[in-house]
Amino acid sequence: MPGFDFSNHNRNAALHAQGVPLPKATSTGTTIVGAIFDGGVVIAADTRATAGPIVADKNCEKLHYIAPQIWCAGAGTAADTEFTTAIISSNLELHALSTGRKPRVVTCMTMLKQHLFRYQGHIGAYLVVAGVDPTGVSLFTVHAHGSTDKLPYVTMGSGSLAAMAVFETQWKQKMTREEAIKLTSDAIQAGIFNDLGSGSNVDVCIITAEKTTLMRNYITPNQRELKQRDYKFKRGTTAVLKEKVITREEISKYVTVHELSSDDDVVVVEKMDIDA
Amino acid sequence: MSSPFAINGGACVAMVGKDCVAIACDLRLGLQSLTVSNNFPKIFSYGDVYLGLTGLATDVSTVSDLFRYKVNMYRLREERQISPQTMANLVSTSLYEKRFGPYFVSPVIAGLNHKTGKPFICGFDSIGCIDFAKDFIVSGTAGDQLFGTCEGLWEPGLEPDDLFETISQALLNAMDRDALSGWGAHVYIIEKDKVTKRLLKGRQD
Amino acid sequence: MLISDEATNGIVLATEKKSSSPLIDPPSLSKISLITPNIGMVYSGMGPDYRVLVDKARKVSHTGYKRIYNEYPPTRILVQDVARVMQEATQSGGVRPYGVSLLIAGWDDGVEPETQELADEGLETDAEKKKASGKTGGILKGGPSLYQVDPSGSYFPWKATAIGKSATSAKTFLEKRYKEDLELEDAVHIALLTLKETIEGEMNGETVEIGINSTPQELAPKADQHDTGIIGAPANDLLGYEGVEGAVGPRFRKLSKEVRSSRLISTTSDKNQDVQS
Repeated sequence: MPGFDFSNHNRNAALHAQGVPLPKATSTGTTIVGAIFDGGVVIAADTRATAGPIVADKNCEKLHYIAPQIWCAGAGTAADTEFTTAIISSNLELHALSTGRKPRVVTCMTMLKQHLFRYQGHIGAYLVVAGVDPTGVSLFTVHAHGSTDKLPYVTMGSGSLAAMAVFETQWKQKMTREEAIKLTSDAIQAGIFNDLGSGSNVDVCIITAEKTTLMRNYITPNQRELKQRDYKFKRGTTAVLKEKVITREEISKYVTVHELSSDDDVVVVEKMDIDA
Repeated sequence: MSSPFAINGGACVAMVGKDCVAIACDLRLGLQSLTVSNNFPKIFSYGDVYLGLTGLATDVSTVSDLFRYKVNMYRLREERQISPQTMANLVSTSLYEKRFGPYFVSPVIAGLNHKTGKPFICGFDSIGCIDFAKDFIVSGTAGDQLFGTCEGLWEPGLEPDDLFETISQALLNAMDRDALSGWGAHVYIIEKDKVTKRLLKGRQD
Repeated sequence: MLISDEATNGIVLATEKKSSSPLIDPPSLSKISLITPNIGMVYSGMGPDYRVLVDKARKVSHTGYKRIYNEYPPTRILVQDVARVMQEATQSGGVRPYGVSLLIAGWDDGVEPETQELADEGLETDAEKKKASGKTGGILKGGPSLYQVDPSGSYFPWKATAIGKSATSAKTFLEKRYKEDLELEDAVHIALLTLKETIEGEMNGETVEIGINSTPQELAPKADQHDTGIIGAPANDLLGYEGVEGAVGPRFRKLSKEVRSSRLISTTSDKNQDVQS
């Protein structure tokens, strides 16, 4: 992301020096996991996003697309995981287009670590990278400072200890696809129920040589009970001082393009009235 | 000195209804405990898309002007209105560009998709992480209170008139428990072919 | 020399792959390139310059659009970006203009309300007539669009056109053959007939290259049959993944050698019929 704009940095640093706290970024206080099975790899994540003690998003997406057969699970600063994976996905797509080959997972992992190392940990993205490429099945973790691991089963995020407890007791070699899905979603549920930073649902992504299957909200163990009655207010409850109705016509007054039929002999009808 | 998000105060909320969306904000502008103005709206319209901005007032003005410029350029280049989804991505990338020197704002977007007519709302943190919610989005110094009122009052499939009552009461009651926001409110109810803007009577203390 | 046809439900790009020597390995030559999943490009002129432009077009579609709006650029925006690159080369010091003319074929989603369209169709009894006279493509309406970009940086939208060596005669041929409400199948046919008219030497699956841009799945009666040679649907099977809400496959794709050969056989038989009648 060559293109960060530091123009507010000095102002904000000066404010910070005077004791102003840093802004609270949404963090994905998260449980994310990945495990290799016989013939592919599966990654899974919970769906809670937090801002301090507040649950900011009850059903966010932590499984990010990189390439059709390379996906990433992200923990840490939510915006950083989102944009880091997006920029690497974009570069990898251009790379695949110009080489005419399918992108490789190691390539993706290397691009991620080099990007993150350059920013010395200030980009708070903690990622699980998984995929299948012509060289086979791969599973990596990438930390915000740029270090990487290559392991058959991995966990990350605040719920990583709970999830790893499940892996360490139940993981075995040469699992089937179904066994791997069960194991990873159990690991995520351990995080959901035992880690406060993780919660809501389980998202799973299975990647094999043939295809990738994303199962959004694969398990929903925390469905809210429907309200038995409602708190609907009677119309007219709220005191209104003034009311104005703006019709569609007025909304689109700024730039309107009217298409003319070719047989009519009319000139351009472009009404342009910026910020009138 | 307190957090830049809490110097000027302010609250904003957006909600989804049946084939409609609503977005509302308070009108206070303060300097810590001193109220400077009771006419500082925090919702800005960009064609069919509405953007609510709470946080540091100077950044609210800067960011609203920045998006007026960006959306006008989009309209001229593409000869079409920006869709709420596209606007959400534009806001997100623009905020993330300033990852290491952010604007102290928490934006909220509300609008109807022109093609499908589907309601769309979303919120952001100050560095551009999008929160796609299917029910409601809150922001500002009364954000915690708004989470409470909205969780209690919101329900799926509200008609425009019912949505107005729900969002107004959610905002009004949250504002009354936040010293930094209040002093009246603006509520927009956005429907397929009309937008109704209402000024609410609120406490002036 | 290459030609292109716009149909009501797609576009065809067709080109001849000329090899100067029988020793050249034909599969490694390729003139049609994918720029975005919905936009394809082909050239006439200098190959090396074209490759540079393809790289720049792909890059600008990401840096100038996808990395900002998280969606691919509409055809017209991409055409303008490519045209800007070409124009700048005419005005900058130390460089020469790009020695190529381009044809860029794209498919846009459009932003006009779906419900409105349905209502219109219900009201208007002669919806067919309206469809035939209305122009296709563009950001507002959606559908296929075709542009030519010249070394000067000027660009033109076309319904059907040809560029390259025998472009004039090919365009005359297209003028006779082109109709407003062509189906994609017919467009492929006409494109190949036009090529045949102007090509010297043998025409087979090895020597022609075809790229097509197809309609959305819901409009195509024969969905997901494109690999059998029937054209119409976006290639959702080419997406490589499933379960993502709203994700659709690429709309632009190049036809395989086998499919190209089968198309050519059908033009041969058709031509004979023409002669007979």
